[in-house]
Amino acid sequence: MTQANITWIEGVIVETEIHMSIVELSQAASASEDLIMDWVSEGVLSPSGSSPQDWRFGGDSLSRTKTALRLSRDLEINTPGLALALQLLDQISNLKAQLIRIGNNSTEKS
Amino acid sequence: MKFQDYYETLGVARTATEAEIKSAYRKLARKYHPDVNKEKDAEERFKEVGEAYAVLKDTEKRAAYDQMGSNWKSGQDFTPPPNWNEGFEFSDGGFGGSYEGDQSEFFESLFGRGKHRQGGRGGHRHPDQGMHFKGQDHHAKILIDLADAYNGAKRTITLHMPTLDASGHVSTQERKLDVSIPKGIKAGQNLRLGGQGGPGIGDGGAGDLYLEINFHPNPIYRVDGKDVYLDLPLAPWEAALGTTVKVPTPSGSSLELTIPANTTAGRKMRLKGKGIPSKEPGDLYVVTIILTPSANTEAQKEAYQAFEKAFEFNPRTHLKG
Repeated sequence: MTQANITWIEGVIVETEIHMSIVELSQAASASEDLIMDWVSEGVLSPSGSSPQDWRFGGDSLSRTKTALRLSRDLEINTPGLALALQLLDQISNLKAQLIRIGNNSTEKS
Repeated sequence: MKFQDYYETLGVARTATEAEIKSAYRKLARKYHPDVNKEKDAEERFKEVGEAYAVLKDTEKRAAYDQMGSNWKSGQDFTPPPNWNEGFEFSDGGFGGSYEGDQSEFFESLFGRGKHRQGGRGGHRHPDQGMHFKGQDHHAKILIDLADAYNGAKRTITLHMPTLDASGHVSTQERKLDVSIPKGIKAGQNLRLGGQGGPGIGDGGAGDLYLEINFHPNPIYRVDGKDVYLDLPLAPWEAALGTTVKVPTPSGSSLELTIPANTTAGRKMRLKGKGIPSKEPGDLYVVTIILTPSANTEAQKEAYQAFEKAFEFNPRTHLKG
């Protein structure tokens, strides 16, 4: 192993270090800007900034957008339905986190 | 290659109507969608269901599939009969299904490869003169150890990339990447590697690669965001009399932890800042459990009896009502 010659690629943590514009988010998630605007107006995504040009998407926006895109495409869910589905998924993950804190062994299955 | 019974996959009869097939598919698609269902085989099932639906919803493909006869059973070795689809004209060679999935070998042998899904901003892009586009962004998932998030790590990862060759066939290319995993990354977060995605067009520059990070399951620690939980078993006398125990931490080091006298089971002790490190580091929670040894020898039984005599202890007072 010639470890010494390896150049290690440094990455940036999206959730904590990057605030994407709508153009960047659209490119990163392969979702159209129109869809993203739709989702913002329905509260699926909550960027900072007041107009689409100023919007900055931080936190879990990228994974949320990817999930939203897959759900709407694969299950043909409209935007209000998508908002509800994501809200319910959030609730499930909060409940799972609670199980983790309690130490219920059944969390290992899910 | 194994035969796949698409009717069985959707749980419908061979005589099912279009509407029945659609509703069966919709139900299963919701059930197995990988964003909804986190079971291990959900993604696989979702792809199977999508593939079955892609064939059965399409009148032409369904008719061609049906004429192979109903004697085939799922999992049976299968080679398409010569000219099996003679006389059938497919208006759409593409895969109608969804989830970034690739079709089974069985599907491909019958209906060919689907169109390569094109993501990104503009659908088809032609390298016209003077056109500049940033390359497509790519996504992959990798598993790391919890210790890597505590200490940072250098990992060589192997990614499998489907690529389209000149004749339109998809083959999988392996790519090795030497990646530095930053200290403090948490499960579900994405690491952006600039310029490691698809090649750009013109002066557009390459796209980025996003690595979604998750942790290998850990037998000792449970992780909730930046907080980490550890169950600490204690003997009854340790819990009652108090003691000092060595507690491991995910970083590899260990800590001396003082257990105060009369510690009860389920007590949560917070080790501030010993969770996943970051600007505001998480906490490490040590949750006590008390394990009682079984009494097997005479001496052990006597010890329990002495216990009984020494305490006037009824653990069920609250049941009396």
